[in-house]
Amino acid sequence: MRNRGVVPVLILAGLLLLLPALAADPASPVFAESSAEAEAAEQRLPSLQQLVDEARPGDTLVLTEEKYAGPAVITKQLTIDGGKTAILYNETAEAAIRIEAPGVIVRGVNILQEAAGEETAAVAVHADQAVLRELRIKTAGFGILLRDADEALLDRNEISWLSTSNEADVTMGQKGNGIDLYNSHDNRIERNTIAGMRDGIYLENSNGQSIEDNRLYASRYGIHCMYVKDVRILNNRGESNVTGAMIMGVRDVHVAGNIFAKQSRNVNSQGILLFDVQNSVIERNLVEGNRVGLYIELSKDNQVIGNSIVRNFIGIQFKQAEGNQIQSNDFVANVIEAEATDSRENELAGNYWDSAQGLDMNADGISEIPYRINPFYQELIAKTPAFQLFFQSPGMMFLSGMYTEQEERWAKDGAPQMKLNTALAAAAPQLAAGNMAAEPVISDQTLILIIASMLLVTAILTILYSGVSKS
Amino acid sequence: MTDMLQVAKREIKIGLRNPWSYSFLLLFSVFSVSLLLVNSQNAVSGYSAITGSMLSLILYLLPLMTLFLGSFSLTGEKEEGSWQLLSAYPLGTMPFIIGKYAGLSVVLLTIVSFGYGLMGIISVLTGKAFELNAYLLFFAFSCGLVLLFLAAALLVGSLSRNRWQALTYSVMIWFFAVIGWTTILIAVLGQLPYLWIKPALTALTFLNPAELVRLFVVIKLGGGSVLGPEYYEWVTWIQQPGGSLLFFVVCLAWIGVSIAGVYWIWERGRSRG
Repeated sequence: MRNRGVVPVLILAGLLLLLPALAADPASPVFAESSAEAEAAEQRLPSLQQLVDEARPGDTLVLTEEKYAGPAVITKQLTIDGGKTAILYNETAEAAIRIEAPGVIVRGVNILQEAAGEETAAVAVHADQAVLRELRIKTAGFGILLRDADEALLDRNEISWLSTSNEADVTMGQKGNGIDLYNSHDNRIERNTIAGMRDGIYLENSNGQSIEDNRLYASRYGIHCMYVKDVRILNNRGESNVTGAMIMGVRDVHVAGNIFAKQSRNVNSQGILLFDVQNSVIERNLVEGNRVGLYIELSKDNQVIGNSIVRNFIGIQFKQAEGNQIQSNDFVANVIEAEATDSRENELAGNYWDSAQGLDMNADGISEIPYRINPFYQELIAKTPAFQLFFQSPGMMFLSGMYTEQEERWAKDGAPQMKLNTALAAAAPQLAAGNMAAEPVISDQTLILIIASMLLVTAILTILYSGVSKS
Repeated sequence: MTDMLQVAKREIKIGLRNPWSYSFLLLFSVFSVSLLLVNSQNAVSGYSAITGSMLSLILYLLPLMTLFLGSFSLTGEKEEGSWQLLSAYPLGTMPFIIGKYAGLSVVLLTIVSFGYGLMGIISVLTGKAFELNAYLLFFAFSCGLVLLFLAAALLVGSLSRNRWQALTYSVMIWFFAVIGWTTILIAVLGQLPYLWIKPALTALTFLNPAELVRLFVVIKLGGGSVLGPEYYEWVTWIQQPGGSLLFFVVCLAWIGVSIAGVYWIWERGRSRG
């Protein structure tokens, strides 16, 4: 491993010798100079591999310098602490850090993975019980790769895409995944922030994961599950991805407390997509402002409970989905509340629909009138999308009210709720507004009171002055 | 200028001594308090179906009220002979019409302010308060509706000979703009080639004050996404800070064109006696 360093030195020497010759060529001097400089700069950096090789198993390696050069392969149990300041540069197509021994801990290192090859990652883990904590990764390939690695902990890492000048416009599909798991079981992925990658967190053939409190932005899929079992996806938050959570070929998954917002700019956007999912529980999620809030295809016997589905174009969409239970969800201001094709025996009950006209006679909070979803508007805009301008206009309500064709076949909630099931929906505007300003000096209530009184007093004075007085 | 102010003052005085105004004031006050009850079911902030139905309720009442009061005021001038009397004075048609418009706006906005003031105070006292943003937007929505429909009302008033005619026209315009609009447009635009539908719809929307103001408020309330990808440009356009200003300019243009129309009709009537 150590004599690897010799080759770049030789290349560098060659380049330096060539430099005057290249400078004569008007087209290339800048390039030649800068690459030579970069090479020179890298050479001056201490090699992480050397430090790793010198350390004994069980040692803690504290990186005190500002910059280090990768790549490094770790074949013994070590703790590497970058103190959040050390930067590891890696220009080779190898992983900046490759872990091959169990129980390795890496924390507080900033990693710049500048080269990308087939499945090149900033950190590649090929052993069990690794701990990666507080890494800040900028990568031109993958972020963190787990292969046949069990029981790892990935905590508070930040992964983002490193855009190099010559590939300024890579499409999302060409990028690497933020965290990528294959055949790795029982890992914990918590509190990571991933932005601008292909898939934020990608799981394949990996069971028993727990994915909690991650932040996923501007990637293709926030969370992407393929053929996994027994995974918990809790309290994650995704914004502006193509699809928030893409869950495919999965059994016994628990998706709860996640927030997926503003997945709408792509024609295939969804908040949460379930494809071939069985026996899973989707509960207390908030999907807001997506093209489709919750999309369920070819999936059976799932429970969708207590979710807030707010301001999506389509609230919930079924395709060839059967026997799913949709209960106690809140549907607010969705253009099309629910749409189903080739789907049977999905049970809708006890949901809150903001456009439902309910009547609660025995005061149990449940309307005695079932809510049937009028498909008139949906059919109209499916034919002519421009008519979406009429959404909830008075004329549209009037027209929909007259349409009752095949009413018995409309989707129906047998016992709609009169009030919101959860308070989660209240969080929606905060999410939209980003970080709200601090508490104002005067509360809204007082301000309304002041404005209202002023309006009323002005009106009364005008009436008294011009209407009543005799002058 | 002084002529205009005189006409406006006279109009306010007549308007606020008109029993019709008070019946509408009462109606609108009762109505705004009932809006409060509707709103108390609203559990989410921003746009929802409940806000949508509140907008619809306002759309039913305010344009009708404005059309009646506005057009009756103009036909009244003709029927009671006060216009003949005023014509004998050196009073220009333009100051007369603008004075009329200003005076009537004050009367109508007084009614609206009274209703909203009452609603606001009751809402705070009963603890069923609106969000400030929504309250102000609803007030602005109502004022915008009133001002735009008042311009239409003056057109109706100048075109009709007496109150009955004005009443008929008013109801017609109201029905066409508020209730029939969607149905008629879906029927008519459905006949057009597909690519023409959106531009035609956009152009027609600018002609209908009810739709124009409604869409503005829907987008401002954050319901822009409900209009779908077809209207993304609109939504980003209106949501930016200059959007309100732009909307204001469009409204002014609307009012200006209508008033120019009224002026033309009155001048024609004046020169032909």
